[in-house]
Amino acid sequence: MRRNWRANRVIFLLVCLSVCLVLLAASVSGATAPLEGTAATPMNYLAGIFTDITRQTNSFVSDLTEIQSLRARNAELEEALARYQTELVELREINNDYRRISELVEYASTARDQEHLVAEVISYDQNALMRTMVINRGVRHGVARGMPVVTGQGLVGRITDVTANAARVMLVTDPNSNVNARLQTSRAQGRVEGQLTGNLRMMWIPLEAEVQVGDVVLTSGLGGNFPPDIQIGQVESRQREEFALNQQAEVRSLVDFDNLEFVLVITSFQPIDVSAFE
Amino acid sequence: MGNFLSIPILALAAILQASIVPQIRILGGGPDLIFLLVLAWAINARLESSVIWAFVGGIMQDLMSAAPLGTSTVGLLLLVFAISGLGQQVHKIGFIIMLGLVLFGTLAQQIIIMLVLAFSGFTMQWGFNLTFVIAPTILYNLVLIWPVYWFVLRLQRRVSRTGSSV
Repeated sequence: MRRNWRANRVIFLLVCLSVCLVLLAASVSGATAPLEGTAATPMNYLAGIFTDITRQTNSFVSDLTEIQSLRARNAELEEALARYQTELVELREINNDYRRISELVEYASTARDQEHLVAEVISYDQNALMRTMVINRGVRHGVARGMPVVTGQGLVGRITDVTANAARVMLVTDPNSNVNARLQTSRAQGRVEGQLTGNLRMMWIPLEAEVQVGDVVLTSGLGGNFPPDIQIGQVESRQREEFALNQQAEVRSLVDFDNLEFVLVITSFQPIDVSAFE
Repeated sequence: MGNFLSIPILALAAILQASIVPQIRILGGGPDLIFLLVLAWAINARLESSVIWAFVGGIMQDLMSAAPLGTSTVGLLLLVFAISGLGQQVHKIGFIIMLGLVLFGTLAQQIIIMLVLAFSGFTMQWGFNLTFVIAPTILYNLVLIWPVYWFVLRLQRRVSRTGSSV
């Protein structure tokens, strides 16, 4: 009998399939649900452990494979950063230049009765006893000797020498510089002389004139060397000596002479020659 | 002895099928470890033992999925009977026949599963499943049958040495 069952594989197959179908029907109907749940619980628990292990292994392997690409990406980014830093420095310079030039343009727009030429400072005097600088505008650009040089902060100096494409400017801080000036408040006249220390001193102020700290000092226009009403600086302190015939004042210019990059040359002004009257 | 070994081995295979295989899928398909173990056992075992392995493997597989109990068993049963019938026809199941068993067996098993699920009320996308699931599964099975068969063969030889029939 047993051998017949084994020999008759078709019947054996049909019996097995019938058992399968019964199992399927019971499962679909939900009859085996409690048994399935109980049997699956320990297997699901173990499957969870294996899943965690697999995920951690996958993560470790992918981290290892990513190291090479991360190194390459890091090198790329460092190169790009260096490039952008260089560009940033250049852009900051351009921005600074723009700011300085826009200050000059703003100043020039307020002084509408004057014509201005923008010039770039290209060098300073190497001699420690002199305070001069060279700008990149010359005869070809309409620059002539005696023309005043200014910035938005005030008077810088005067053109003393000119070549075809450059000009030398004597700064107001040069000891040889003399500018006829007046105090804005009291209208008192005097003369501003340059000091090697970089300061300015207003001399020959009448004794009776009221000099206050903070007073604005302007060019007076007397003598014909400079146009009037250009700011020179502000009074920092006053000196009055006993038995002196006049008083003096220390004047601080608002111009940063050590960091000048762009200046304006007043090309519409020609100094007046008064030597015939001396 | 071999029949009792089916429970821990196929239970472990079902656990690995549910935990590791999803991490290594290509498209939607991965190796079918239960199928490979049952096929490898059936090649050198008697029909009764293979039927037990098919039942145990199918139930273990279905316990770890949403498919009704018995879904995988149908295809596995047909597989072991086919292998038994083939074993009567050929002297030895060689390399080509093994590949053919894996190829057509996987295809038949997956189609039967889809049919059973469709009759049970699940929605099936036949064309999509064929390319997205079944094709990668066949590829995986064709590669993994060799180590699985080697393992099962060693197991069967060890069981035979203990005096138990396989």
